[in-house]
Amino acid sequence: MKLTDSGESRIRGYLYVLERSLRSFLSPAVAADAVREVESHIRDSVMLAGDVPDERVALEGILERLGPPMRVAQAYSLELVMDEAATTGRFMAVLRSLAHAATTGVTAFFAAFGLFVGYSIGAAFIVVAIMKPIFPNNVGFWMTPDGMFVSGGVNFPGVRDGLVFHTSYWIIPIALLIGYGLLLLTHSLARRWIGWFRNRRRSSLAPR
Amino acid sequence: MMLENWLEQLRRGTLELAVLLSVAGGPRYGLEIIRHLEEFTDLVLTEGTIYPLLSRLARDGFLTSEWVADEAPHPRKYYRLSPAGRGRLNNMCREFDAFTTKIERLMKAAGKEV
Repeated sequence: MKLTDSGESRIRGYLYVLERSLRSFLSPAVAADAVREVESHIRDSVMLAGDVPDERVALEGILERLGPPMRVAQAYSLELVMDEAATTGRFMAVLRSLAHAATTGVTAFFAAFGLFVGYSIGAAFIVVAIMKPIFPNNVGFWMTPDGMFVSGGVNFPGVRDGLVFHTSYWIIPIALLIGYGLLLLTHSLARRWIGWFRNRRRSSLAPR
Repeated sequence: MMLENWLEQLRRGTLELAVLLSVAGGPRYGLEIIRHLEEFTDLVLTEGTIYPLLSRLARDGFLTSEWVADEAPHPRKYYRLSPAGRGRLNNMCREFDAFTTKIERLMKAAGKEV
């Protein structure tokens, strides 16, 4: 089958969507290689199709068997990014997986968002511990006048009227402990969730 | 519905073995692997999902890949088993064989014909 301009345009459109999807979580070089391979598949399928009465029908059949570009991209994310995150637990791989998972549905979005919040709060505690020696008079904890603890952090004057701001170096080990604990807990939850999400997606992307 | 899910799990679990077997006899490119699987199994693949699997197997060191530009009007990416891949394939075949033998024995013991 020799493709017309319209057929070529349809293939370029498919590959464009695929490349855009892949580039959101793969390096440009890996994405380009994947797109080149899928293009090779399409060209081979077109060549094997021989002479057909209706190019459009034949081409749509080829692309349908290949699967929608988003689905192919999802399979790549599953095999590459999420496998790396679930098996190695590398921080950046886990973050990339969460970012990608968040784009796949509402439930996944909120789950990934919750985990991002967990990481952020843990990191915030670590930042507080780091800032204490640098700004000793601005990092501490708020208490009510009758001695009830409210919260800890960086003091912005005037924000918490009616509370007493205490500066104590005890905040460093406490913030480090809580921050590190939260990061570990969130990371462990993130890995478990990515593992579960990957298995569920593998099931839905399995050959039928 | 339950049987369908179970079948999907079975297919999913054996797809890696099937792909490694497809390139055991020599290098093959993507569409060739898919056609080979279709010829010998009833795994009707969503064709696009085979490439990420090939990519992962190559990344894990079980396959090596090479672009060949001069045998068709367009370049093709050929995959072949690496020594590590051959070792993995041998182990998988042995384990799969042992597994199916045990299930067959279990089915015979239950009076089910295999």
